[in-house]
Amino acid sequence: MPRVLAHRFRDEFDWILTILIVIIAVTGVINLYSTGKAYGIPDLYLTQIYWLAFGGCVAFAVAVPDYRHYERFGYVLYAVGILLLILVLFVGTEINNSRRWLTFGALGRLQPSELMKVLLVIGLAKLLHHDPRVEGRKVIDMVVPALMTLLPMALIISEPDLGTALLCLLIFLSIMMLTRLKARSLLVVTASAPIVGVWAWSYLLKPYQKQRVVSFWSSLIDPQADRLGAGWQTYQSITAVGSGRVTGKGFTQGIIGPHHFLPEQHTDFPFSVFAEEQGFIGAVALVFLYGVLILWCLRIAANSRDRFGSVIAVGVGSIFFWQVIINIGMAMGIVPVVGVTLPLFSYGGSSILTFMLCIGLLMNVSIHRYMR
Amino acid sequence: MFVSSRNEVSEFRRRYRWMRLFVVLTFIVLVGRLIQLQLVDGDEHHRQSLANVIRTVPIPAVRGRIFDSKGRVMATSMPSHSVVVIPHYFDMGKGFERLTEFLGYDDEQAAKLRAKIAERLANPKDMRRFQQFSVADGINQEHLSTIKAFMEELPGVDIVDVPVRYYPYGSMGAHMIGYTNEVNAQDIEKRRGMVEDPYRSGDRLGRTGVERMLESDLRGVRGWRKKVVDARNLPLMRRESETLLPEPRMQEPRAGNDVISTVDMALQKIVQQSLRGHPSGAVVVMDVDTGRVLAATSKPAYDPNVITSGLSFEQQRALNENIFRPRIDKTLYETYFPGSTFKPFSAMAAMEEGKITEADVFHCSGFHEFGRRTFKCPKPHGDISLRDGLVVSCNVLFYNLAEMTGMDTIARYAREFGFGAQTRVGYNSEASGFIPTKAWYAKRFPGQFRIGFTLNAAIGQGNVKATLMQVAAAYSAIANGGTIYRPQVIRRIETGDGDLVKDFPPEVVRRVAVSQRTLDLMMDSLVGVVEDENGTAHGARTEGVDIAGKTGTAQVVRRARKPGDDLNQHYYLNRDHAWFAAVAPSIEPEIAIVTLIEHGGAGGEHAAPVAVEITRRYFEEIAPRQEEPLIAEEQQPPRDKAPLVVDEETATTASTHRH
Repeated sequence: MPRVLAHRFRDEFDWILTILIVIIAVTGVINLYSTGKAYGIPDLYLTQIYWLAFGGCVAFAVAVPDYRHYERFGYVLYAVGILLLILVLFVGTEINNSRRWLTFGALGRLQPSELMKVLLVIGLAKLLHHDPRVEGRKVIDMVVPALMTLLPMALIISEPDLGTALLCLLIFLSIMMLTRLKARSLLVVTASAPIVGVWAWSYLLKPYQKQRVVSFWSSLIDPQADRLGAGWQTYQSITAVGSGRVTGKGFTQGIIGPHHFLPEQHTDFPFSVFAEEQGFIGAVALVFLYGVLILWCLRIAANSRDRFGSVIAVGVGSIFFWQVIINIGMAMGIVPVVGVTLPLFSYGGSSILTFMLCIGLLMNVSIHRYMR
Repeated sequence: MFVSSRNEVSEFRRRYRWMRLFVVLTFIVLVGRLIQLQLVDGDEHHRQSLANVIRTVPIPAVRGRIFDSKGRVMATSMPSHSVVVIPHYFDMGKGFERLTEFLGYDDEQAAKLRAKIAERLANPKDMRRFQQFSVADGINQEHLSTIKAFMEELPGVDIVDVPVRYYPYGSMGAHMIGYTNEVNAQDIEKRRGMVEDPYRSGDRLGRTGVERMLESDLRGVRGWRKKVVDARNLPLMRRESETLLPEPRMQEPRAGNDVISTVDMALQKIVQQSLRGHPSGAVVVMDVDTGRVLAATSKPAYDPNVITSGLSFEQQRALNENIFRPRIDKTLYETYFPGSTFKPFSAMAAMEEGKITEADVFHCSGFHEFGRRTFKCPKPHGDISLRDGLVVSCNVLFYNLAEMTGMDTIARYAREFGFGAQTRVGYNSEASGFIPTKAWYAKRFPGQFRIGFTLNAAIGQGNVKATLMQVAAAYSAIANGGTIYRPQVIRRIETGDGDLVKDFPPEVVRRVAVSQRTLDLMMDSLVGVVEDENGTAHGARTEGVDIAGKTGTAQVVRRARKPGDDLNQHYYLNRDHAWFAAVAPSIEPEIAIVTLIEHGGAGGEHAAPVAVEITRRYFEEIAPRQEEPLIAEEQQPPRDKAPLVVDEETATTASTHRH
């Protein structure tokens, strides 16, 4: 059996995926070195390497067993995620007025909402795996997956962590786009968007979040308009990205980043630091890598041997896609500021672990594509 | 169990193409935005990123010093520090607590400061959030070092050097030296584009006296230093940051030039002391051969050290409502009837025009009738010559003289001597005084010109007005053979290193068209005023003090007594001003001393003794006469045993003698 496993790994191992991930992660570590140095926390990049190494092991462990085992325990995994989310509401650690973390003594903190993104994908994949359709789906057919999404969303919002909740919604919508929908269903979903939007604005958003959105709109019209208020981060980030020009200011030579103009730059704005120091060439290269990664996810999905694998690949791909778009978009001022990390690039254990889980699942689906 | 058909995947098949398209399009948008930010607007963002972190910090220029003619410091700048807050970068939490703790604020002060900062931060568009404002001026060394040590914890707090002007002599010569205070918005606006280094909020500006006159020389040009700061406005020490600074990184300030005055503060002190007992008055001491002002005092004065740091409302009111008008420079800005001190000029006009000679004898019966009016003399002087008329200050003689000479002729000579026009000494607002003419009267009082005007003008009343500075310049001309010098208070302007910037040699305005014979007669008359038994200033004559001068009494416009008036004050304010215009010594005069005691009464009684004391001490302490010893050396009393020490002033002289 081990010989067979080794054999399969040699023939069917997804080298492209691996190389993409390694390049992005290594670039991210280098970028963190610059940030950490400027901030007087020089060990930042080392911590990130430890997490990447640990996450790599997790990814490997996740990749090896046939993913159909995950299909079998799909709802169980989903339920574990929900339980963790409930747990965090009671015993979670509160930081900056939000209760998002479970503390495991000296081991560190875990953010169940990060994990939930992946578990939601697995749950939805299991649901759709057993629900093949030939006809287009009606609105009523979408109720169960919608409820499966709304439950963790509600729990995450009450932490509160609006960014992750929003991601859950986007994951759900992306996966539903994979299925065959009736034109009317599509219409109903589209039409309900503004209604949900207005409701969310009135009851869900906190004043500071509303302010961010307002500031975002005003800054789209006039970038200088709100540069001292809520638009401060966006304005500084845009300046950082733009000031990189073609070739960038050089590694560790940034101005905006190292001079504390960007709060939370190692988690929320690593792209600004990167674009400032590496310029257009570096930034486009990074964006290109992410683009290839996401298209690769779609390819893995298309080549998957079953529905479960396809939904997993698309779901994981959508996590990557939306986080990349939101994070880079907000760094460039075309998306409102939402606390969403840049996959494998941002600093943070929970974030790295989640994406490594994703990579493990992708690899798994990719490796087992020919298996019957 | 694991069996599931690949066919089932067909539901998803046609979706991937759309998804790929969506992903590609979205990434194209991202790249498009990168192109816009980095390639199209890159330079602008790059400039902005530098502007974010590079601050230009002004380095104030040290204002030039003012010295007296002997090198004593009259005005200088002392280092002082202020704590300023820039609201935008300020930390209202811990930083606020720290700052108020360091400054020793109580709760009320802290609340006030909090409100002030909050007000400036209320509106994000209010640019005052970036303007620093001072929270403590003139902080002591202890506070300074504490705050400096905790700078890291005090974002948005800065220490700025604000040199404070210091006047070691206090109120002595205050009007002449002047003072500085902070510029206001109008001052800045008015001088925009007119000076090399535009004024900014917090700068100081010379307001009066020499400080104002030589503002552009004294001020200097501020320098600057570029530094890198982070988002909290804290200076950064990173080596990488240093390279961001464009060259040059610093411009040294250029210190203001030093000014050397003609004034001698030791003499100024003597003048001040001689005026004791007189609440209000003024003295000008002038070098007759150069027109240089050696002392100029207007009493009472204010302390420029207090004014320069800003007056409270009460202090201002006290200063403005003081009946002795301390703000007014009585040597330049205030004009008085010159009274009898004007008589020599009327006399010279008559003599030069050949209307009278020194041999002519007039008769004074105590009054002079003209038409229906009677012009009085203090007492009947009997038969009297011109010289004696000046010595006893006979009005009747001058009424006669004026009738013969005429108003316009007297006015012409008076103008020759500088009356009726500003002396252009330049350090304060100056009144030009007034010499009336027939034409002026015709305009002012239409109808028949009355010769009575002329009679009054000849004795320095009527509408004749003069400043002390004018009288000093005119009497200097009598003493120096007829040269009118422009009065000067500035001797030299030098750089801080002592290099000459500008010299001020004596400036001759004109030589008066009066013969030496006439001038000699005037000098003889002035000597008589003091030396003759019946001279009006004979009472002030002091043995060993060689002084010649003319007394005068300037009539004061009578005030009606209102109910509730302070009786003493009423009598005081209705008393005439006392003049004494003098030169010393009587042979080859060196200095002119013009003294005016406001509401002093008769000149001979009140003004002359002041001038005599100044003269005595001037020749004892300031410029001892180097006379050939008349008596043989051994016959002189031994100096060591002489009780020379009378007071502090002579104590210094005594020690000089012993050398």
